[in-house]
Amino acid sequence: MYFLQQCINGLTLGSIYALIAIGYTMVYGILGMINFAHGEIYMIGAYLGIIVIGLAGVFGITSTPVALMLAISLAVAITSAYGWTMEKIAYHPLRNAPRLAPLISAIGMSIFFQNFVQIGQGAKDLALPPLIQGGFAIGDPAGFQIRFSHVQLLLIVVTVVVMAGLTLFIKGTKIGMAMRATEQDRGMAALLGINPDRTISQTFIIGSGLAALAGVLVSLHYGLVNFSIGFLAGIKAFTAAVLGGIGSIPGAMLGGLLLGMIEALASAYFTTEYKDVFAFGILAAVLIFKPNGLLGHNYVEKV
Amino acid sequence: MSKASPLLALEDVHTFYGRVHALKGISLTIAKGEIVALIGANGAGKSTALMTICGRPNSGSGRILFRGEEINSLDTDRIVRLGISLVPEGRHIFPRMTVRENLDLGTYLRSDHIEIARDLDQVFDLFPLLKERTKQLAGTLSGGEQQMLAIARALMSRPRLLLLDEPSMGLAPLLVKQIFSIIAEINRSGTTILLVEQNAFMALKIAARAYVMATGLITHSGSSSQILLDDTIRAAYLGG
Repeated sequence: MYFLQQCINGLTLGSIYALIAIGYTMVYGILGMINFAHGEIYMIGAYLGIIVIGLAGVFGITSTPVALMLAISLAVAITSAYGWTMEKIAYHPLRNAPRLAPLISAIGMSIFFQNFVQIGQGAKDLALPPLIQGGFAIGDPAGFQIRFSHVQLLLIVVTVVVMAGLTLFIKGTKIGMAMRATEQDRGMAALLGINPDRTISQTFIIGSGLAALAGVLVSLHYGLVNFSIGFLAGIKAFTAAVLGGIGSIPGAMLGGLLLGMIEALASAYFTTEYKDVFAFGILAAVLIFKPNGLLGHNYVEKV
Repeated sequence: MSKASPLLALEDVHTFYGRVHALKGISLTIAKGEIVALIGANGAGKSTALMTICGRPNSGSGRILFRGEEINSLDTDRIVRLGISLVPEGRHIFPRMTVRENLDLGTYLRSDHIEIARDLDQVFDLFPLLKERTKQLAGTLSGGEQQMLAIARALMSRPRLLLLDEPSMGLAPLLVKQIFSIIAEINRSGTTILLVEQNAFMALKIAARAYVMATGLITHSGSSSQILLDDTIRAAYLGG
């Protein structure tokens, strides 16, 4: 019973990591760079979610589902615009620069976003009153009960639906096909008439939108955000992407869920302080035996 | 467009890679329905010529005319849309996509679904082997199969002009013969072809005319039979 409870907690956490990790892995797949500002994009999404929910209250929208839909759609849309702008300003001019340059630019964007939000919103935690309360309790009321809150359920269901949707999108639509083609061979994709700049922009828009979704869901779950939450979440999601095989979207999904489970189980059966040691220890072990990550590709080019 | 004007014309085209002057003013023409071969040693600029036609990179100076329209400053997607398709050296199939997905990407700029379905049938007639492997990942095909896929993918864009860069590279002699007979067949069904080849002898056998390149310049041109008889060219590119 206790184990099952930890699995639910792990899945919740893992869903968040997975949603953020997809953005890292998609950008890496197409540009070969780590977007270190991606954690901050998630943080901005979380703030926007809380701000929209607050504004909805001011404007007299009392229905929770409506406020929530509004918060998710506006946060995703505005954060996507942030992601698109970030790419145009910080990465696009460096397309042909040495590999280190966009990396430094990304760190610069990360610092900028943190300070931007700190100045705009203050350095204190921003709290969101619990919008969705209650949950299920399974088991003997006198003994140990598994608690599964409605927010956790929402978080896991939304993540699963979004991942399924993304998988179909990447597999079947023209934009998704163009993304995969650009990722595998940018020059050849261009020779087939695919505009690489447009495809790269679309990648940033999708990755940022997913990070914003994660941000809104996290603020619902934990109820607190501040300007620095992007750092640790970013590192964890990056770890998840590497664990699953950076560049691979199913890998990011699997890596995120695994990392969440590892952390939850390590906190439960050892101590909370050591959960990161387990998470990064397992990452190190995977990379020693499978350097491309769990689902990373490793193919031989034929001549 | 008058009947006499060529499908493609290059007029004094220069191409630069940074400070490297790769094409030093080449001029050539291809009439509708022709196969023209472009031969020459490694590094002569043959591949650069094909890439420049496709706008990767655009030429530094000179004019490229396709069906009478100047295309030398257009983006690649515009050029592809006009009906030029390049099969680059080394095939460049998408290895982690299926054969079918590779072919679908050839139609990226098209939306005439009925015609696409018809073209797919034609391509499968030409390459029956690909039809059996539509669901296989392209990276698991053999070299010859990958070459066939690359040509098939280019055909799916229904080009007026097909540019082929070293289609015989790295293939067993029997496969080379097969690929060349398929190229001739594609031409017979109405597609104009510009063929770059190291295997000059084979190229001259299917092409009516040829240009010879060396160090970024065109040094000779003429009918294939003339070039086959030219002693200096024989010595340089045809192994005596």
